[in-house]
Amino acid sequence: MATGGDSNLEAGKLEFSLDVPFPSSHEALIALRSLSPDQEPRRGGISKQLSVSGSTLRWSADEARILRVSVSSFLDHLSLVIETMEMFGPSLLCDAAQVC
Amino acid sequence: MQSILCFFFPATMTVVIGFEGSANKIGVGIIRDGEVLSNPRRTYITPPGQGFMPSDTARHHRAVILTVLKEALEEAGLKPADIDCVAYTKGPGMGAPLVTVAIVARTVAQLWGKPLLGVNHCIGHIEMGRLITKASNPTVLYVSGGNTQVIAYSERRYRIFGETIDIAVGNCLDRFARVIKISNDPSPGYNIEQMAKTGTQYVELPYTVKGMDVSFSGILSYIEEAANKMLSSGQCTAADLCFSLQETVFAMLVEITERAMAHCSSQEVLIVGGVGCNLRLQEMMGVMCEERGAKLFATDDRFCIDNGAMIAQAGWEMFQSGQVTELEDSWITQRYRTDEVEVTWRD
Repeated sequence: MATGGDSNLEAGKLEFSLDVPFPSSHEALIALRSLSPDQEPRRGGISKQLSVSGSTLRWSADEARILRVSVSSFLDHLSLVIETMEMFGPSLLCDAAQVC
Repeated sequence: MQSILCFFFPATMTVVIGFEGSANKIGVGIIRDGEVLSNPRRTYITPPGQGFMPSDTARHHRAVILTVLKEALEEAGLKPADIDCVAYTKGPGMGAPLVTVAIVARTVAQLWGKPLLGVNHCIGHIEMGRLITKASNPTVLYVSGGNTQVIAYSERRYRIFGETIDIAVGNCLDRFARVIKISNDPSPGYNIEQMAKTGTQYVELPYTVKGMDVSFSGILSYIEEAANKMLSSGQCTAADLCFSLQETVFAMLVEITERAMAHCSSQEVLIVGGVGCNLRLQEMMGVMCEERGAKLFATDDRFCIDNGAMIAQAGWEMFQSGQVTELEDSWITQRYRTDEVEVTWRD
């Protein structure tokens, strides 16, 4: 998992991007679709973009104040998705592929 | 492919799994055509004097949800392939816990290739009550820590006839429990009910029915102050206050339920929600029902208290009538009125 931090001094905003590699684009897409529907608790001042490119989940947010909380909460949710996949996923993915 | 076929040509048996975690209970339940196959649940209990906060509650749910899910499948003797639909609580409730549970529901729905259904928590209570008690068209009193509503079905909506204009009755009870520092295990309301049985003195409290609605925050402020003054001076005991509070708030609930029944010419009352477990409330409601020649329906703590099977049941009804929630639309919401949902499964 590669992380990067950047501060855009001109605009006064903070950016944070996070690349999360998944075994395949299928899993990355599942994670994306599980994590993107809910809005940020405090809607003003923070924006988050989740997308999938290849097998990597890309996330970037810009806002100083509640950035840390948002990142921390996202990582908790992400680890929950991964744990769920590990517990209820792997063997079934092969089965699903055969059925479909 | 298989899941699409199931949608257009429903199998004789429809199995729905439901996830619930809008407050401090986390439950996963499985229903197959009106039969509860499993319904495990865990409760996040805080020390006496403390309520439960959203992030701590979410953390509790996060720690146990996958175990509870596994239990639900094992107790039902089912594999994920046997599930037809994944239902979860869309709202209302506390944000962080709702998100935690929704995330798991979305993930398993995708992993297992099953349609997803976002359920209104209140409607979960109503549909479970209807299933268990077989009440045909009752006036519903929905009372819990987070909600207090009098509901009746009319033309594809569960209409709210009366409700609290401030806090829920369960919230009033729970916060009073904190003042007198009684245990939250198994729930503050249960312990107030037990203490009330030993109360001997009736302490007069404000009685605040406002037409079809009720208000509890004034009663709470009053009894908090009364507790501080009267308990230290020995004018009454905590048990007396528990007794007086119950008698007052339950009488108010009986009154607004009766008012709604008169409007709807209804001969049935169904009590749902955690506070519905309270036997004194059931007793008082029963007296009113008898006087009107009406029938009272209530469920036990397996189903009054938040649980996964109630979400599965409401999900089952929604799914059978053709509803499905797309992933992009599966966001949770802290505010979700009971009458916002189109009740497509009833005439």
